[in-house]
Amino acid sequence: MARDLAIDLGTANTLVYMKGKGIVLNEPSVIALNRQTGEVLATGREAWQMIGRTPGYIVAVRPLRGGAITDFEITERMIRLLLQRVGVSRFTRPKVVICVPSAITEVERRAVTDAARRAGAADAQLIEQPMAAAIGADLPIDEPVGNMVIDIGGGTSETAVISLGGIVALEAVRVGSFDIDAAIQAYVRREHGIAIGERTAEEVKMAIGSAAPTEDESQAEVRGRDLMTGLPKTVILTPEEIRFAIEDVVSSIIASVVRCLAKAPPELAQDFLVRGMYLVGGGGLLRGLAQRIERETQVPVKMSNMPLEAVVLGAGHCIEHYDALKNMFMGARR
Amino acid sequence: MLTVLFIVMGVLILALGVVMMIGNRRINESGVRSFRRHIDALSPEARREVHDRVRAQRDKKEGR
Repeated sequence: MARDLAIDLGTANTLVYMKGKGIVLNEPSVIALNRQTGEVLATGREAWQMIGRTPGYIVAVRPLRGGAITDFEITERMIRLLLQRVGVSRFTRPKVVICVPSAITEVERRAVTDAARRAGAADAQLIEQPMAAAIGADLPIDEPVGNMVIDIGGGTSETAVISLGGIVALEAVRVGSFDIDAAIQAYVRREHGIAIGERTAEEVKMAIGSAAPTEDESQAEVRGRDLMTGLPKTVILTPEEIRFAIEDVVSSIIASVVRCLAKAPPELAQDFLVRGMYLVGGGGLLRGLAQRIERETQVPVKMSNMPLEAVVLGAGHCIEHYDALKNMFMGARR
Repeated sequence: MLTVLFIVMGVLILALGVVMMIGNRRINESGVRSFRRHIDALSPEARREVHDRVRAQRDKKEGR
């Protein structure tokens, strides 16, 4: 008998929580395929290492982009492989709770649940990422007070106001930390005339990227391909340059937080001033982002204790208390 | 004969009313109970187990 599972199917990483056991898988949402035969060559970390470094016949792809499924068939295969890796087979049929972006379409919803069922799940339910994040961030969402959570993922940024176990206001934009990487790539190409890969852009973001000036800032040396000569070239990037490069993306995330604040009922809005907002997700780790949101909204911003695991923790809690929390699943409210 | 019919109809309507009232009360009670269960399952005490489990896992991984 397989243990029930909770899956955070993120644009950047996929985490799996097993009932009674904890997090059993945490890997990049990447799959490498043979372009000619369609055969799966690698998944997770192994496939991630192949991004941008593959020969012509191999393609390493992220089947989710901007919080949306870009390729249903590949996503299905990835879910099936993930479940197999944690011990799900035809004979062990667990219940599965999957976290998905709140902006997911009906077609995508059905694709995810069907994929999980075909992969061996006895029952597959979906939960919105900000709801799971609020549970996982240990916010007092069982009380009649306003709790605000900002989940900045790879492809989406979702802000939600939660009270008494339900979402009161929600705002989602299809912008996330991958857009920050893309903005860095575009800036380096435009201003320095060199092409860099998405993994290099991510490294630059992690090394010197920030949303507001911070202490101990340093420069970064970046290697890429000169667009004019085609030869390898090194350039030095400063934190100010990166802040300028990613400004549009950061502004768009902050604007969505402001829109969510504006949607919140006045009774709950006053709670935020006292309790603050909670930042979760990998994108929330961008230096200076919490301070920037705080400055622009005048509401205190706190970082969750486990920002990368908050969503799967919340879904894990739902699988542990499946019957009591059935009402929270996406289909149950429609 | 007509009086008996009226009495029977009256009793039937009354019985139907009582049944509906009980049913309604049951629905309300089950709503209250399921909401309570939902809220209780989201309490910090209920969530502690999952958090402690994952925190212990993380500490073990980091060698703390």
